[in-house]
Parts: sequence; C-alpha cells; structure tokens
Amino acid sequence: MEYEISLATTMAISVLFALSLNLITGFCGQISLGHAAFLGVGAYTAGMLAKAGVPFLLTLPLAMLVAGALGVIVGFASLRVRADFLAITTMGVGFLFVGIVRQQDALGGEMGISAIPDSGMSKLVFMLFAVAMAAAAALLSAYVRRCWMGRVFSAIAEDEDTVRVMGIDVPRFKLTAFALGTALAGLAGALYAQHLKFIAPDSFGFIESITVLSMVVVGGIGSVIGVTVSAAVLSVLPSWFQVIGTYKLLVYGGLLFLMMRFSPGGMAALVKRIFHPDRWGAK
Amino acid sequence: MSAQMSPLLSVGAVTVQFDGVTAISDVSFDVNQGELLGLIGPNGAGKTTMLRVITGVVRQTSGSVRLEGRSLEGLPTHLRIRRGLALSQQIVRPFRDMSVIDNVALAAGADKTVSPVKALLHTGRERELKIGRDLLSRLGIERHADESPQIQPMGILKRLELARALALAPKLLLLDEPLAGLNSKEARLLADTITEINRSGTTVVMIEHNLGEVLRICHRLVVLDNGEKIAEGEPEAVMNNATVRAAYLGSGAAAATQATAGDQHAEA
Amino acid sequence: MLFVELIAQGLIQGSIYALIALGLTLVYGLLRILHVAHAAFFTLGGYIGVMVANQTGSLAAAIVAAMIIAGIGGILVFRLCYQPILHQPPFVPLIASIGLYIAAEELFRIIFGPSGLSYKYAFLQDQVVLFGFLRFKLAEIAVMLGSAVIIGVLSLLQTRTRIGVACQATVSDPQMAESFGISLQKVGDINFFVGSALAAFAGVMVSVLNNMVEPTMGSVPSYKALAIIVLGGLGSVRGTLAAALVLGVVESFGTIYLGHYLDRNAIAFAFLILVLMWRPQGLFART
Repeated sequence: MEYEISLATTMAISVLFALSLNLITGFCGQISLGHAAFLGVGAYTAGMLAKAGVPFLLTLPLAMLVAGALGVIVGFASLRVRADFLAITTMGVGFLFVGIVRQQDALGGEMGISAIPDSGMSKLVFMLFAVAMAAAAALLSAYVRRCWMGRVFSAIAEDEDTVRVMGIDVPRFKLTAFALGTALAGLAGALYAQHLKFIAPDSFGFIESITVLSMVVVGGIGSVIGVTVSAAVLSVLPSWFQVIGTYKLLVYGGLLFLMMRFSPGGMAALVKRIFHPDRWGAK
Repeated sequence: MSAQMSPLLSVGAVTVQFDGVTAISDVSFDVNQGELLGLIGPNGAGKTTMLRVITGVVRQTSGSVRLEGRSLEGLPTHLRIRRGLALSQQIVRPFRDMSVIDNVALAAGADKTVSPVKALLHTGRERELKIGRDLLSRLGIERHADESPQIQPMGILKRLELARALALAPKLLLLDEPLAGLNSKEARLLADTITEINRSGTTVVMIEHNLGEVLRICHRLVVLDNGEKIAEGEPEAVMNNATVRAAYLGSGAAAATQATAGDQHAEA
Repeated sequence: MLFVELIAQGLIQGSIYALIALGLTLVYGLLRILHVAHAAFFTLGGYIGVMVANQTGSLAAAIVAAMIIAGIGGILVFRLCYQPILHQPPFVPLIASIGLYIAAEELFRIIFGPSGLSYKYAFLQDQVVLFGFLRFKLAEIAVMLGSAVIIGVLSLLQTRTRIGVACQATVSDPQMAESFGISLQKVGDINFFVGSALAAFAGVMVSVLNNMVEPTMGSVPSYKALAIIVLGGLGSVRGTLAAALVLGVVESFGTIYLGHYLDRNAIAFAFLILVLMWRPQGLFART
C-alpha cells in the first residue's frame, strides 16, 4: 500500500508541474525549455527552509513566492526575445540554474540536500494533500481558460502584434503567465522536496524540463484535461513497467517525436478527431 | 482657440531616419474632428511609416504627434490605442482559433483587458458579444458571426478587421489600405461603409492606392512623396496640383505595377 | 603565456563547435527549424569512426565512412521527419526534434552499451610544441586545420558552383529561390547531407581527441550549438562561425576565472543570455 501511495503522490506532483507549464506554454504560447529550474527553485527553497526549522505548510507559499519572483525576472528577459530565441533563452536559464546550484556549497553543491525534515503528515495525508493541490491547479487552469485573461492569453499565443493594436498590454499579460506558471512550479517543487526528502541539482536539469514539456505536448498543448491525464500516466509508466523504466527516455523521446509527427494537437486532438470526425473534416 | 476647434490629431514636423536613410522628412499635418482624410502618395512615399509613427510602432527621430492636444511621445502602442486610436491593418490578421464574433468581442472587452487582474476577475461577456453582433450587422457580415475566419474570403476578412477596430470605440480610426485585395465592386461597397462609419461620428485617416475611391469619399488629402509632404487640401485641388501630377505621372508606371503587386500580396 | 594558451584552447573548442553549428545554421536558414537531433549525427559519427578505424586501422577510412553514412542519415531525417510537419507552428518540429534526439541517444546506449568504446590504435596522440611554449596534441591541430580546410572548401563551392549558389539563395530566401525554379527538395537534401557529414567529422575528431565515444557525447555540444546559432543571429553562416569561436574562447577563459561560481555550460548560457538581453537578434544578425 505504501508503494501505491507514493506512486499517487508522484503522480499528483507531476500533474501540478505539468499544469504549471501548460499555463505558460499552452495558454499563453510562450515556449519554455527550462521549466524544471522553477521546480528546482521551489524544491531548494522549501528544502532549505524546512532544514532551518520552518514548518512545512509555511514553506509552500514561500517556495511559490521565490519561484514566482524568479519567474517574473525570467519573464522580463523573455519579453526581449521571441519564438526560437525564447526557446533557447529558457533552455539557457535551465542550464544556468543547474550550473549555479552545483557550485554552491551552501546548497549542498553536487550532492544536493538530504534528510529534509518531515512534514508531520502521514504518507496518506500527504498524498491526499498533493492530490488536492493538483486538483486546485486544474480548477484554476479551467477558470483561467474561461475568463478574460484566458482569452487574451490565447490571442497572444496566436499573434501578439495584433493583440497590441487592440490596446492590450502584452508584456504584463505575459509576465502574469510566467508568474502564475512558475509559482505553481515552485509549489510542485516544494511538494517534491518533501516527498523525496532528498534533492540534487541533476533532478532539475534539461531532461526534466523536456519530460514535463512532453507531458504537456502529449496531452495536448493548452488542454487542461489532456495535460492532467498525460502527466498522470507518463509520470507512473516507468515505475509500473520495468521495461519502460529501463527505456524511459527512449519511450519519452519516441512519444514526443511520434506525437508531433502524427498528431501535433496531442491526445486531446486525437480524442476529438475520434469522437467528432465531422468537425475535423470541416476544417 | 477652444478645445473643440483644435485638431483631433496633430502631426508636427515628424522626421524618421533608419540607419541614416530618411524615410520621412519634416512632415506636418492635422486631422480635424469628424474628418475623413486620405493619406496618399506613390509606393515608398512613407505613408505606412507615418501610420507606424502615429501608432508608436516606429519612433520618430524628431517631431511630435499629438492626440487631442496631448503628446503621444514615449507611449507604447497599446496605450495610444487606449487614448482613442484604432488601426485596421493592411494584411488582415484575424485570430484564426476564434470565431468571427469572438474576434470582435475580444476587442470590445477593452475595459476588462486593461490589466491582468481585471481580466482574471471577469468571465462574462454578454455586453461584448452584443457590441460584436451590432458591429457585424452594421458591416453586413453578421451571417458569418459563428464561423471560423479561416474559411472566409478577403471581402469578409477586410470587414472583420474593420469591425475589430471599431469595437475599440476609437476617436480616430486609422485604415491601412482597406480596399487593397478587393475587386472594384467590393471596394466601392466597402468605401461606402467607411463613409457611413465616418458620418456616424468616427474620424478616419486612410491610406489607399485606389485613387478613384479616395477621390470619391475623402474630404481632404495629404500627399507624400519620397518622405516629404508635397500637397494638402481638397481632393480636386490636390489632384490638379502640378507637383502631385508629376509625382504620380513621373512614376506612374511604377505606381501602377506596385499597386497590382500590393493587391496580389493581400490576396495571397 | 596563460593568455595565449587559453585563446588557443578556446579556438580548438570553438572550431569543434563551428563544425557542429554549421549544419544547424544551414538547416535553420532553409527550414526555420531548430534541429536539435543534429547532435545525433555527431555521436553517430564518433561511433562509426571508432568501429571503422578499429576494423581497418585507417583514420581516413573512418572519417569518410562516418561522413557518408551520417550524410545519408541526415537526408532521411529531412524527408521522413521534418518535411511532413513543416507547415505546423514552429514548436512542433522543435519538440519533434528534441524527441528524436533523446530517442537516438537512448538507442546508442542500448545498442553500443552505456560505457562507450575506445580506439584500438593511437591516432594523432603525439604532442607537438609550437613557438616553443604552446603544447598541443596532434589531434587538436588536426581539428583546427580540418575545420578551416572544410569550411574554406565549402565556401568556395558555395560561391563558385551552380548548386552552391542555389543553396545560398535558398537559405537566404526560400520562397524567392523556389520561384526561380530551384528545387527545395534538392537543396534540403544537400543541406542535410553536408550538415550531418560535418557533424560526423566533428564527432570522429572529438572521439580521437578523447580516445572515447559514449552515448551522451552529443548532448552538451547539441545544446551549445543551439546557443551558438542563436548568438550568430540564426541562419547567418558567418555569424555562426564567429559565434562558435567567440563562445569557445569565452568558455576557456570563463572556466579559469569563473569556474568557482559556474560550470562550463552555465558560463556558455550566461553569456548567451547576456548577449540576447543586449541584442535580442543575436550578435551578428543583419538588421
């Protein structure tokens, strides 16, 4: 039972993390190849605070705050560059994060931080708590989609110059997307640190950024349900099937490629195509 | 001079240089309240650059742009739009993932999109949909309200672009070649629509190559050539002006071919 | 003297980067795709190089085989993977490419084992001393000379031959070139062949330099090469060459003077981000 509870916790954290990227990349169209850095910022913030004796529940908002603040800074940088330049800049941010943390003895350097103090929750309660956080993120995403902010986001994703001549302050909306998305990633990171009780720089590198991107892309960029399902499934697949565990990256890489090659809209588009073939044809 | 008498838009001695090349040289003109002004000239005259200076996409090297007597200096594009400008772009760019009505409604929601916080706190858009439907029917394309812009012909898209600009309830509407890419019948109908929009109180500045329609509907013309203002005044007087004739006839062949090229571009 | 040594080391590293980044630039210029999977041909080149060299005992044969096989592989990737999704928004081919690269890296690991292979014969391992104080491995000099010669020959071909001119025209304006009757298919094939062959050459040279190939040898150069073409202004061949050399030198100085605060990759990307904040269109872009 303990194993299943741990798996469910992993799943919930992944869903939360994937939804956080979906806000930035899916809703607002700003591609990020370095999102794991913000998971890392949240994890390190929460881990260090917990070791300093700060109670678990208090570490969460602080982790969100620090990750969100850094997110806004990266967001400011991203305002200067677009599309392909943005993709590479965010990738650079990811490498920079790992590169800096690795060299900081205060952050445990290469070895990371271990023996993070317990939250005081039982495993089961912690799992339920993580699931509740993921559910809250899903509800928030669904709400954002429906409100005026979501409409502006999707317009920015399509053509930001035109949004500008509609009198909309594009930079502020982009920064908001970055702030929301990176703060949620920080929350996911704080839960991650508490779940594993051990964090190291390599857990927040490029591969992790790509993994979360593949969850978003496979689910269907922008689709809340699609991303939730794909993050849940992809996060536990390697643990369920040992074969997949060994070839985890081959499966991720292959899926990423095949999805883009044959269904760029992800699972969400596939499902739509199967249930509404007429609508697909009418395009 | 009282506030009502002062011009709505005042362009004062604007010069624009790109890498040392002068695109606009010391151009001044006013746009009066309620006017329909044509900004014309051969291709490469600097008309579109002038429009970009007004909307703040291009920064002038020197000179000033004032709206209702207030300088627009240093304001980014979106704030100029909020001061009362609206732009209908030459190459139509609807949001293809939204329906026609959603495109217009998004523009109509300006008071809800003024800041992210406000946008986050509002979901309803009955008012904006109603404004959108009214505008679409005013422009005669309400039948296509719920369709995707992707399947619409150029004539509809030009009107959608116009509807979206009008949804901002502008004081001054800037039109960049609204008739380009339309056949002569469509162009005439759209020119009539523009006249109606102007009559119902919106001041309009329009860049246009279709001189026939320009002469038919514009109250006043400003003519640019090689970045300089060469004439200004009532359409007939301007077209009889020797300098204007020379500019158009001298480069007459070039202007004609470029105008067709522009049309093809817009259709592509 | 340290100064000169650091510059020399930087230029050696830079010329390896240049070989890899050149193919990326060719692809980007033509298709506007960030071809992450390009680095797979660097790794593939290394593996073929080791295997052929160990079989035949000839480094030349190894280089030729690696370049030809990688070149053909490049054409296949172009036709099977990219061509069908070129009309999609740019993130689609980008993510497809990342997926392809990750899968390829895993395939190398599964097929050749995680620990890597090394050369049975010692190629170009002798030390030479230049100007009395600069020590090089022969392989390092070969890398520099090799890149210079290959890039020189390529630029001659590009300006002196019909197909070269066609390629150049297509890279700078694909639509215009097509309306002049240049076949995008053909130019695409050539670009992918040449780019992948160059990456394979770099792969062989690096494997000789380190006397080692391993599945992950392409990952760092692949991300670096992306940074380089962005620095170079995306799609500009000269910009790419200059950016590669600049980055090599920045890194070699950075690791000495900043190594305590940042690792080598972080230095490269910190440099990239700083440059982009100053010039969002890259160092050498024509405005």
